[in-house]
Amino acid sequence: MHVSEVTKIRRKVLAEVSRLALEGTLEENIAGILGTVVSEDGPRYRCCVHKERAVLKDRINMALSQPIGTPLSEAAGRALAGERADLPAVNLLPEACDRCPIDKFLVTDACRNCLAHNCIASCPKKAIMVVQNRAYIDKTICIECGMCKRSCSYGAIIEISRPCERACDLKAIVAGSDRRAVIDYDKCVQCGACKVACPFGAISERSEIVQLIRRIKAGHRVYALLAPAFIGQFGPKVKPEQIIAAIGRLGFHAVREVALGADAVALAEAGEFTRAVPAEQPFLTTSCCPAFVTMVEKHLPDASERVSTTVSPMIAAAKAVKEEDPSAAVVFVGPCVAKKAEALRYPDLVDFVLTFEELAAMFVGAGINVAETDAGAHLTAASRDGIGFARAGGVTQAVLDTLAHMSPGAVVKPQRAEGLADCHAVLAKMQQGSLDANFLEGMACQGGCVSGPGTMTDPRLSAKLLEHYAAQAPVATAPDNPAAREEKDLHRRTK
Amino acid sequence: MSTLLVEICLGTSCHLMGSQDILDAIETLPPEKRGKIDLRGVTCLKTCRKGPNARVNGVVLSEITPDRILAVIEDNLP
Repeated sequence: MHVSEVTKIRRKVLAEVSRLALEGTLEENIAGILGTVVSEDGPRYRCCVHKERAVLKDRINMALSQPIGTPLSEAAGRALAGERADLPAVNLLPEACDRCPIDKFLVTDACRNCLAHNCIASCPKKAIMVVQNRAYIDKTICIECGMCKRSCSYGAIIEISRPCERACDLKAIVAGSDRRAVIDYDKCVQCGACKVACPFGAISERSEIVQLIRRIKAGHRVYALLAPAFIGQFGPKVKPEQIIAAIGRLGFHAVREVALGADAVALAEAGEFTRAVPAEQPFLTTSCCPAFVTMVEKHLPDASERVSTTVSPMIAAAKAVKEEDPSAAVVFVGPCVAKKAEALRYPDLVDFVLTFEELAAMFVGAGINVAETDAGAHLTAASRDGIGFARAGGVTQAVLDTLAHMSPGAVVKPQRAEGLADCHAVLAKMQQGSLDANFLEGMACQGGCVSGPGTMTDPRLSAKLLEHYAAQAPVATAPDNPAAREEKDLHRRTK
Repeated sequence: MSTLLVEICLGTSCHLMGSQDILDAIETLPPEKRGKIDLRGVTCLKTCRKGPNARVNGVVLSEITPDRILAVIEDNLP
């Protein structure tokens, strides 16, 4: 996973904000970040240092969960008071957006003004003419059908698409009237794909690190719920126990693995499948990926009843903590941006959501080097299948293994979908009854959670490390795990 | 055969700034060059604020990029 300059700047801002908040000097020194992250003589990515800093102010506001345009010391004061603005998880940074061109088809220098003029011949709207010895597309007539591009013998006509638009499978981000990107939150499911795609770093998730640090410093019992994708995220040589110990050094009271919540989910979902399919409904879909669940709600509402009512492993794990320690603060730490939106639906259960990137920035801000952290041995409390939830196919595996144990006669025809376009297409087919399947695993990210927008390690590597970690689990499946039980109250709603 | 000692910091700060990219750049060198490099991961080079950091033949290089480490290696290969 290539760490671009844009990614480095975002991470530096998060680390500096963490450092100042931990030191207790955030409000006085917040403006100093403008100088430390972008120096006068440092590398320049924009027209001038002033523009660079204007962009940085947007980033700092996002790092503090405050509205774009809030003066920095005011934003710092609010964050330190624990305030979080009512912002979506994924936000556009208007200063950072480079207003990429919206002309879809462009004639390049490779045009030779040939005799055939296949472009002109192919254009159904007669929008192409020759100007200054080269083909020219009249934008007022062009309908962007792409015939000219396909017909050119030289490949001289290229299709330009905005990276954010191309990344969004749900067409939720478009160019506004000033060519700046605009997110349509009626369609957006906060998956974070546009954030990963934008080469200008103009889209970012809001962060709650300062609000979290405030709680830790106030002496609250703060629990970290560590998503199974954490394996390998802090470097290939860092051991899981070192990560857990480092979280403790940050001042967290305890660390719990979300994979144990995943075991409870596997039991609940398998139970639900046995009861509902095919008696009440032709098929059941998973519900652990919040971007998938929201996609169904917003884009295929007719299929909402097919989505499992079982809560996500995050919520199952959070419930377990709150039952044990009702006054605890719960922080989900994972690879996911959409979890930030999911958590808002459960304000009594999940207090904060961090990405692995944000946690690493907190480590750096605190001067904690995970690679040099001493730690005792750690044995996971979750099953192999629970840990497997972090990669595509893992939830299916867990439910199949649970069903094999729970109701051996059940007929399961599993189907998988990765990426929101695929999820949408496959689910639509299943709704029509044109796919012979009765169980759908929907993952918004290709490859599952290990590929999430909040990760730091190449998913090809982290998926391997995850397999290795899962293989060491003391039990293989959820029904084998004495620590996991099927709970009746693990459902979002009753049908 | 003498080899060139190249150490890459894999501490948290350098990891966050992309030390894995530096490691990958060296790992994917052609065998005739890769074979002359003694590549090691270290946990800290004490210049955390200027990561990613590397050390080539005992000299610490800060804010290193894949292109720059390859250029330095090229200049120092035995």
